[in-house]
Amino acid sequence: MTLATSPQTRKGDFDLQKLANICCERMATEFTKSGKILAPIPLPIMEIIHEAESVVTIWLQVPAELAAAYKPGQFFMCWNPYDAEGGMGRTNFNSEKPYSVGDIKIDRTGIDETTAADEGNVGNTLMGFTIKDLGRQSGELTRMSKGDWLALRGPFGTTFPTPTSGSTLVLVSGGIGSTPMHMMAREARNKLGNRVKIHAIMGFRNSSEAHYVPRMEGLCDSLTITTDDGTQGIHGYPTQPLEELLQGLDSDNCTLLTCGPEPMMKPVLEMAVTAGIDCYAAMERYLPCAIAVCGLCMVGNRLTCRQGPVMEGDWLLQQSDFGQHHG
Amino acid sequence: MAELGVEVPGLALANPLLLASGVQGGTAAALHRVAASRCGGLVSKSIGPVAREIYPGPVCVEATDSVVLNAMGLPNPGVESFTEMMNENNFSKPMLVSIFGPDSQSVADIAKKMEAAGATALELNLSCPHSKPGSRALIIGQQPELIKEYISAVKQAVGIPVYAKLTPNTAQVSLEAGAALEAGADGVSLINTVSALEVDPYAGRPIIGNLLCGMSGPAIRPIAQRKVAEVALAMRRGEIPTAPILAMGGITTGLDVARFIMLGASAVQIGSALIYGDVDIFEEIENELTEFMDVQGYPNLESMRGIALDSMEGLN
Repeated sequence: MTLATSPQTRKGDFDLQKLANICCERMATEFTKSGKILAPIPLPIMEIIHEAESVVTIWLQVPAELAAAYKPGQFFMCWNPYDAEGGMGRTNFNSEKPYSVGDIKIDRTGIDETTAADEGNVGNTLMGFTIKDLGRQSGELTRMSKGDWLALRGPFGTTFPTPTSGSTLVLVSGGIGSTPMHMMAREARNKLGNRVKIHAIMGFRNSSEAHYVPRMEGLCDSLTITTDDGTQGIHGYPTQPLEELLQGLDSDNCTLLTCGPEPMMKPVLEMAVTAGIDCYAAMERYLPCAIAVCGLCMVGNRLTCRQGPVMEGDWLLQQSDFGQHHG
Repeated sequence: MAELGVEVPGLALANPLLLASGVQGGTAAALHRVAASRCGGLVSKSIGPVAREIYPGPVCVEATDSVVLNAMGLPNPGVESFTEMMNENNFSKPMLVSIFGPDSQSVADIAKKMEAAGATALELNLSCPHSKPGSRALIIGQQPELIKEYISAVKQAVGIPVYAKLTPNTAQVSLEAGAALEAGADGVSLINTVSALEVDPYAGRPIIGNLLCGMSGPAIRPIAQRKVAEVALAMRRGEIPTAPILAMGGITTGLDVARFIMLGASAVQIGSALIYGDVDIFEEIENELTEFMDVQGYPNLESMRGIALDSMEGLN
């Protein structure tokens, strides 16, 4: 079936920047009215970057005020309206899943502020979703192209506590859990400069999946990489270097944040609680609706979409359904 | 202070605010969470013969600030798993168990299992297609003969009260209400969602994964009020048997509840409002309703039930 309205079927034959500007303006109007994007708004993909094996970053142009309002840990529902392989044997049967923002940048390409036309033009704001091929829907997203539509609604959910001057942040990620940890490091550094210490541990299965390392190196006071197979950094899990790191820190002014598979986050939070350190985890659960209707994203007696994804570590450790792998 | 308690067949409610079916109520954890709020009672997700997965998304979105669109696909754990859950759990609020099935025998079987597991009342979701060839273009709730067949089968199978959940997507809802009540239903619930469709003009396709969807939210409240009034007036005129009405459609405030009670409803159900206020919305609505009744001097729900119908009795 040919769908003339889909950039997915008319690649290269249209003014991408003009389309992006129009869609971005549409999103800005909705954001001003509602404070978030309620119904999915499609945006053309401006750029898609290979980060590591089966990991890409999809860059979308968004209103500057939306990017400014986004808080690390929050998520957007991301939907490829032309995802053709979705279930039920129907063509164009699509799916939508939650992703947190991995990076934000300003594109000033082609702007000449000495000209009257560009006076006061601060550039275009781009939001990056870094996605790892972990299943059908995420796999489809990693295979999208520049110009394809990706629809967003959000941002939804809770955020990490705001770091304060003189504090220490410990960021522990597993796999694609890197993205909210990077946004947190970025925000803390932008806001507090050298008045915050940031120590990060990033765990990956192997070196070919390792991503965001250069980004984090530029932001952190210390960065430790672990791989399950020893192909990069420390051979093992993030808990190994974490134990040593926590011993050298003053627990009073320290906060640990983590994102990754639950079997990794559980011992990480246990170590933080034992050391007397405030800790929070960004949770991922099967999350179909994002607006407190379906009731399928529960952890304990909380809805992940509304009372998460960021939850307190000591509370999570009391929940019997926390700590296993979830599909 | 106004007394908000109300009794309807199978349910003694501390207030008239029930959770609507399809919202959050599919698992023990979710039902306990809602029960811990100030709701008067629960309505479970619609439970079918076997477990069903949710449709691929988007499954539910706020299309604008008063329009909610959804096509969930009746996701549910299936009757065996749900009755096991009921046996293992005691909920702190009365629960109306919503059920559905592809044919009347299947629904009657589910009803029996729910009664055995302790259900005190059932709500029969009639908004699914019938498996009979030639009937698939319409849902059961649009065919009065099928409504009768379903209700009769369930009433023969169980002794507990049965409510028929009616669709607004017909020409004259009092016909469907009459069919259900003549077949023995103990009450009616209305309205289910309004048939809807939304297209994104840039993507050039519907925004809901299932393509077609149902509409709820504050925008449908006037539609729901008219449907409830049509049924209540038909009861007053003696055209159909009189029975309690559980009303729903876009309720977000205590004043909305008063509107439906004044149109003849015994109790109400609240669903989409949880998008705006989660389960805390029940307390807000309860407080508003109490304050309104106190200011207006209504000592209880019965004193305002149906009063808005008095000026409409001549209508046909």
